[in-house]
Amino acid sequence: MDLDFTEDQLDFRERVRTWLAENKPRDPRPDDPQGVREFDLAWQRTQWEGGWAGISWPAEYGGRGATLAEQLIWYEEYAAHGLPSIDACFVGQSHAGPTLITRASAEQKSFHLPRILRGEDIWCQGFSEPDAGSDLASLRTKAVVDGDELIVTGQKVWTSFAASADYQELLVRTDDSGTKHKGITWTVCDMHSPGIEVRPIRTMEGGAEFCEVFYDEVRIPLSNVVGGLGNGWSVAMSTLAFERGTAFTASQVHLARIVEDLIDYARDHVGPDRRRPAIADDEIARRLARARADVAALRAMTYVGICRSMQSDTPGPKGSMLKLHYADLHKDVSALAMEIVGPEALRRGADRHEQGWVGNYLHSFSSSIGGGTSEIQRNIIGDRVLGLPR
Amino acid sequence: MDLLPSEEQLELLSAASEFLTDQQPIRTLRDRAGQDCAVDRAQWAAGCDIGLLTLGLAEEYGGSGRPLDDEALLFRELGGQLAPGPYIAGALGARVAAACGDAQLAARIGSGEEWVGLAELRGDGEIGPDRVKGTFDLVDAADCDHLLLVTEEGAALLPPPAAEQVTRVEAIDPGTRLATTTLAATEPTHWVPAETERLADRALVLSAAMLAGLAEATSELATEHAATREQFGRPIGVNQAVKHACVDMAVRAEAAVSQALFASVSVSSARQDVRFQLLAAKSVAGRAAIDNAASCIQLHGGMGFTAEHDTHLYLKRAHVLDHLFAEPADVLAELLTQGAAQ
Ligand SMILES: Cc1cc2nc3c(=O)[nH]c(=O)nc-3n(C[C@H](O)[C@H](O)[C@H](O)COP(=O)(O)OP(=O)(O)OC[C@H]3O[C@@H](n4cnc5c(N)ncnc54)[C@H](O)[C@@H]3O)c2cc1C
Repeated sequence: MDLDFTEDQLDFRERVRTWLAENKPRDPRPDDPQGVREFDLAWQRTQWEGGWAGISWPAEYGGRGATLAEQLIWYEEYAAHGLPSIDACFVGQSHAGPTLITRASAEQKSFHLPRILRGEDIWCQGFSEPDAGSDLASLRTKAVVDGDELIVTGQKVWTSFAASADYQELLVRTDDSGTKHKGITWTVCDMHSPGIEVRPIRTMEGGAEFCEVFYDEVRIPLSNVVGGLGNGWSVAMSTLAFERGTAFTASQVHLARIVEDLIDYARDHVGPDRRRPAIADDEIARRLARARADVAALRAMTYVGICRSMQSDTPGPKGSMLKLHYADLHKDVSALAMEIVGPEALRRGADRHEQGWVGNYLHSFSSSIGGGTSEIQRNIIGDRVLGLPR
Repeated sequence: MDLLPSEEQLELLSAASEFLTDQQPIRTLRDRAGQDCAVDRAQWAAGCDIGLLTLGLAEEYGGSGRPLDDEALLFRELGGQLAPGPYIAGALGARVAAACGDAQLAARIGSGEEWVGLAELRGDGEIGPDRVKGTFDLVDAADCDHLLLVTEEGAALLPPPAAEQVTRVEAIDPGTRLATTTLAATEPTHWVPAETERLADRALVLSAAMLAGLAEATSELATEHAATREQFGRPIGVNQAVKHACVDMAVRAEAAVSQALFASVSVSSARQDVRFQLLAAKSVAGRAAIDNAASCIQLHGGMGFTAEHDTHLYLKRAHVLDHLFAEPADVLAELLTQGAAQ
């Protein structure tokens, strides 16, 4: 065991650092869907031109083809530079893209993959429905085969960035005669198709980042189906695992920054006794120190997970442990911040992109819901990691 | 000993509750989002008509002369229904006027004709019978006729500062209007020293009762959702992860309500350990309101993260109330300085 990086890896880190410092976006990220779209795509294009796009994608599909260690380094540096999380490009980069790589036809790949990498398209994920959240396999949005097309009717919900997206990875039911996991189909849906209506939903943190999407007899060419009709569940599962791969490193580094920012805040701002800095308060000091320790362990867990992935191709169910622990810590640290800021907690303040503590706190509630709730993560860990009887 | 509401109290509460659900449903918070005041003037006056501000005020000042536990029950209801508007400031403001013998002002406040907003000292400053100065958060004080200030030493009413001296601030809670102002030495129009009446104690009872009501409301909301929302072919509440979370919320709510009522009776029966009981009530209720609202969001899944659902409104209101009349850290520090409970 060692924690050393090789000469090549150190050199790689240097190059990442220099490039990010020179090329990172300087303007603040806009708030409206159109502005977000342009901003995120422009940044993606810059990464493409610099040769950094698709850091984890194989070179044969235009990606960087970086090793796991290099991916880790990239994400660490990325977050350390305070760069925007890849937000609107997330689904294309880390979800739909990898799904296409593993399961799509040569034609589908050659059309979509370069467009994602070059920052031409935004993708969104149309999985959840009003009655199918944790129980995703019970989804009901219906697709009927008509000649060489699917006709889709139904509704999706909580679709992040649907209002900015060009394409959607869409799960539909093409057969409801068998068990619920069968008869689901994974298809690419052009978000500009007639019959699609997108209604943004405001979130509790104030933004409108997720949407309801309604489908009224939307026609999708059968050639958009990936993995074959009725195989959608296995196609979807082949990439749910990617969500917990190295890309997660950025969230963890970001959380470490939040803790350090909070410690700085506690040094610079007066505490509960209104005389000394907040950090002079024993309880605050200990809780901040504990947060530091916990976040350090989260990094160690990430490293161990990456080492494990180096030995086997598929990131196992232990990835759920990272997501769960991250969600708990993010929420704890954000709630601690609300106590440290005292009556400042009454003020809505700057939005979360500017790191207002109130905005950060409100945002933290999404970490134990989005991408599968913490309760469901616990079920997965209990069943698949611990092998407890079901 | 009796800590349970009487028949008479229950009747009174159901009238208030009916008024709130009919006249000020939670949706009004959203409808009035861009407005100066969180509550409409006519609505406010209608609430005053049924005595929402004057339940505990002596009859000679136009009140109903009911004991503090009645008021605690009422404010628990107001909290649970997220009622917008400066209820605590209004009820205490009318009391300050009454204690100063200003029957006319007490009546004007009690009837909703004149409004009282709350001023909370932030940082250094001074609040006394002769002068008030410092930087203040103004809570639901837009368009008000008086400011209420409450300290351990006494409570004051002040004329509100001129509009140009007030800076509006966006509050975390869409149902609360927040602003900030710096007052140069200003003389209160009314002052009630703590020796005459401890308004700070009543403020703790009423805010703890509102927080307890919030904790109860989110507990009920989550339990109802757990019983009706189905995933995997069964209500989500069959899962122990969900069931136990609901139970924990119910326990926190029960503890918060019980202690708030205990504290209210401690004031009216002048128990020796009254301050202890008040501080415990504020601390327990504040934490219960915040923790329950957070659990409620979690148990609602994606819906809980939206602005359209009510869950976040409870969370945000809880954070506001938690910082009124005493900072949570100060409450705990003072509680430790008290002797043991009697
Ligand atoms: C910010 C954000 C962004 C999102 N983006 C997208 C997106 O882009 N695309 C997309 O398709 N979806 C998206 N989602 C949806 C997300 O995946 C779902 O919200 C999540 O899977 C939960 O489903 P639900 O909302 O229906 O809650 P429910 O499944 O109804 O869950 C309600 C509560 O019950 C609990 N529960 C349910 N079943 C069990 C069980 N068996 N055991 C224990 N507890 C249980 C849950 O943990 C939760 O606390 C997003 C959500 C958020 C918050």
